[in-house]
Amino acid sequence: MTGQELDKAYMHWLYRAVGMGNRRLIQNLLLLGPPAEIYEMAKQGMLSEKLSGKHKAKAGRIEESAVNCNVIAEYEEMTARGISFVAAGEDGYPGKLKSIPDAPGALYYVGKLPRNEEKTIAIIGARNCSEYGRAMARQFGEILAGAGVQIVSGMARGIDGIGQQAALDVGGYSLGVLGCGVDICYPRENRQLYERLIAEGGICSEYPPGIEPRAVLFPPRNRIISGLCDGVLVIEAKERSGTLITVDMALEQGREVYALPGRTTDPLSRGCNMLIRQGAGIAVSPQELLRELKPDCVGFVSDRQQAVVVPEGMRGRLLQLLDYQPASMEVLQRKYADMHGDHILISELCYELLQLCADGLAEQISGSYYVRKG
Amino acid sequence: MFSTITSGTIYGIRSCLIQVEVDISQGLPCFQIVGLPGSEVREARERVKVALKNVGISFPPACINVNLSPADIPKSGTMFDLPVAVGIMAAMSKLPEESVRDTLLIGELGLSGELKPVKGVLPIVREAARRGIKRCILPEENAWEGALVEAVHSIGVSDLHETVEVLTGAEPRARTEISRDDGSDGEVDGNREDFADMSGQEPLKRAAEVAAAGFHNLLVIGTPGSGKTMLARRITTILPPLSLEESMEVSSIYSISGLLRSAGKLKSERPFLNPHHTITGRALVGGGRIPTPGIISLAHRGVLFLDELPEFKRETLDILRQPLEDRQVQIARSSGTYVYPADFMLVGAMNPCPCGYYPDMDRCRCTPYEVRRYLRHVSGPILDRIDICVEARPVEFQDIAGRRTAESSAQIRERVMRARQMQTERFAGTGLRFNSDMKAADVERYCVLTDREKHFMERMFTSFQLSARGYHKIIKVARTIADLEGNSRITEEHLAEAICYRQTEVLK
Repeated sequence: MTGQELDKAYMHWLYRAVGMGNRRLIQNLLLLGPPAEIYEMAKQGMLSEKLSGKHKAKAGRIEESAVNCNVIAEYEEMTARGISFVAAGEDGYPGKLKSIPDAPGALYYVGKLPRNEEKTIAIIGARNCSEYGRAMARQFGEILAGAGVQIVSGMARGIDGIGQQAALDVGGYSLGVLGCGVDICYPRENRQLYERLIAEGGICSEYPPGIEPRAVLFPPRNRIISGLCDGVLVIEAKERSGTLITVDMALEQGREVYALPGRTTDPLSRGCNMLIRQGAGIAVSPQELLRELKPDCVGFVSDRQQAVVVPEGMRGRLLQLLDYQPASMEVLQRKYADMHGDHILISELCYELLQLCADGLAEQISGSYYVRKG
Repeated sequence: MFSTITSGTIYGIRSCLIQVEVDISQGLPCFQIVGLPGSEVREARERVKVALKNVGISFPPACINVNLSPADIPKSGTMFDLPVAVGIMAAMSKLPEESVRDTLLIGELGLSGELKPVKGVLPIVREAARRGIKRCILPEENAWEGALVEAVHSIGVSDLHETVEVLTGAEPRARTEISRDDGSDGEVDGNREDFADMSGQEPLKRAAEVAAAGFHNLLVIGTPGSGKTMLARRITTILPPLSLEESMEVSSIYSISGLLRSAGKLKSERPFLNPHHTITGRALVGGGRIPTPGIISLAHRGVLFLDELPEFKRETLDILRQPLEDRQVQIARSSGTYVYPADFMLVGAMNPCPCGYYPDMDRCRCTPYEVRRYLRHVSGPILDRIDICVEARPVEFQDIAGRRTAESSAQIRERVMRARQMQTERFAGTGLRFNSDMKAADVERYCVLTDREKHFMERMFTSFQLSARGYHKIIKVARTIADLEGNSRITEEHLAEAICYRQTEVLK
């Protein structure tokens, strides 16, 4: 084991010994010397003398863990599972993260961490998103990632996961920042995305492996999401939303904030519209955003979009009526009659809508509701 | 000192004739009934004894043995009071032997000697007719049930005195003419519901029409108040009217359950059963120590509507799997195995998510996970047996205000009957009746697709990730849609509509 590896092993021990949510204690400990020395001190039971105030009480536990721990074996066991560890100040530590206040002392990660020289953007938003949000997260994810922008998010249900999935689908890079150990997939339904991120992108967390997700662990992880990025793009958020915590962090860290505008009547767009009101950048389209992020980039068109042939006749007119708001067959029937003056039979409507779905231009969601896709 | 009276009993759904043999001999006074009598039958002793005394016949102080033959069939019900009483009178030689020949007697006795109505009269009288009995003596209130069977002469009597008069041929009382209502005059059961009352919801009504035409099971998903129950209630109005044979069959089941009496006439409308979701499995399929028909048998030839499908207990719904497949239900008890018919159309209704507003995400507060979990409450095997799934959208102001005149049930029924006709011709001599009866092999045989349609289905199969089962369901429903159009060939449009009725991924 090299000297650097050895340092990491002791740092990893320190992280585990201190436990969660006590960054100040780690900072204070590190003032005493390198982790290896702290370990020796702890082992000899001299730690409590060196600490003061409320931290004194915690020394006992750290000392205890030093006695019972085989530092090197544990570290090797972790790396054998494919989990890497990088401390602040080391080479692999993400450059963008260095500048933020309260930067994590170290990161655990699987796969790759984002590259510093590339533009990075976070696509975040409501877990319980609308079809509009779903389609937009997908579009922004595809086009930005396709043009080489790195997509960072929290791998959550809804917008987060969809944006990341889209980035991977076009062969782009995406990083998931978790509020639990990197060896735990949370939420569980994103298992597939989790596996793909490990293989094609990366997963990282400031918490040691094995830490279960807890509500208190998530707000601090949001500062890492915004810290890793040049900008944060909010797709959908209600007026009071966890997403807005990330936005506050981003502003504190001096990151750009973009918001996707929505209808004023949609609760899920109210948070975004408020952000725009407060001065956030308006994400009019992925191309527009791309021009701002990478002025020299020629833009990117995904295979899916390239393959689209806009249909003609009744099918084309029907496609124009479709929206990202789910519309029932009957509403489509009525709109069609209003606009074109002729009644379309249910059977015809089914036929044309199905063709649109098969072409990937529309999607049937739950029974008789249809939305535009792509 | 011996007599034999013909009576009948119900055994599951089947009825059989019973010979009530009465013997009076010298010995220590006793009165016993043998031949697997249930407790109601055994209690006949006390009722008969007192009733005879009160009509002025002194009960003989002798050894009276009653045997109910065949003796190996369990007997229940109160219909044996009258035959036992008459048998005793005959054995006492108070009635001539030939007076009870070829006559079926059933009825419950009151202590004063009056006759009270009993259950299951219709199927027993039908059985009697089949066995060549000429005359049936029934309680007054049940007489009309017997009168429905043409081959026998049914006579309603009100007490023991009158029974004796009828039997001895002394001045048969002038009987009220019993009107026979075979349901040919349309609206009879007071089901005044009509599709004309439902404005809007065109896709929903269309799905109901297709379901009725092919007897496909139907699932309606929709927000509260979107008309799911309204739709289900109207499905019986577009199903073809019951044929006389079907009507007899349905009425027999109701007669056994004691429900025909309150109707007062032959069932002419298809039954509509709407059990609450707290129903137990036993109430649903029938049961009890001596089994009685359950809700699904009462829905025979009609509609079983299960509202709030995910709220039903999983075990309860799973019980429906066999009846949905076999169109009958078998119940085994220590007293024997009973088979009840259960050929019903299942109509299920459910909310799209726990709060009811999905996919309107501005109002729906459920997470995708909750939505999926809610929908998965319904067990897969039940969903597998549902061919048509349709979604009701919330009712809008235009629907209520812009009252366009909607099609009436009669108009829709006409189309349904034409489609049924096509199915009858197609399946003549095969044992199949409806498109929904087709198995995979039948689909291959009766639903031939040309290359063009095959190509279309291939494309849809991959874009919608259909399963083999899903594929067959689509073809079956497409066959029905083509039948509604009077088309012998299935076209792309038919297939497309059938695909729209498939269960979308969230349900899987």
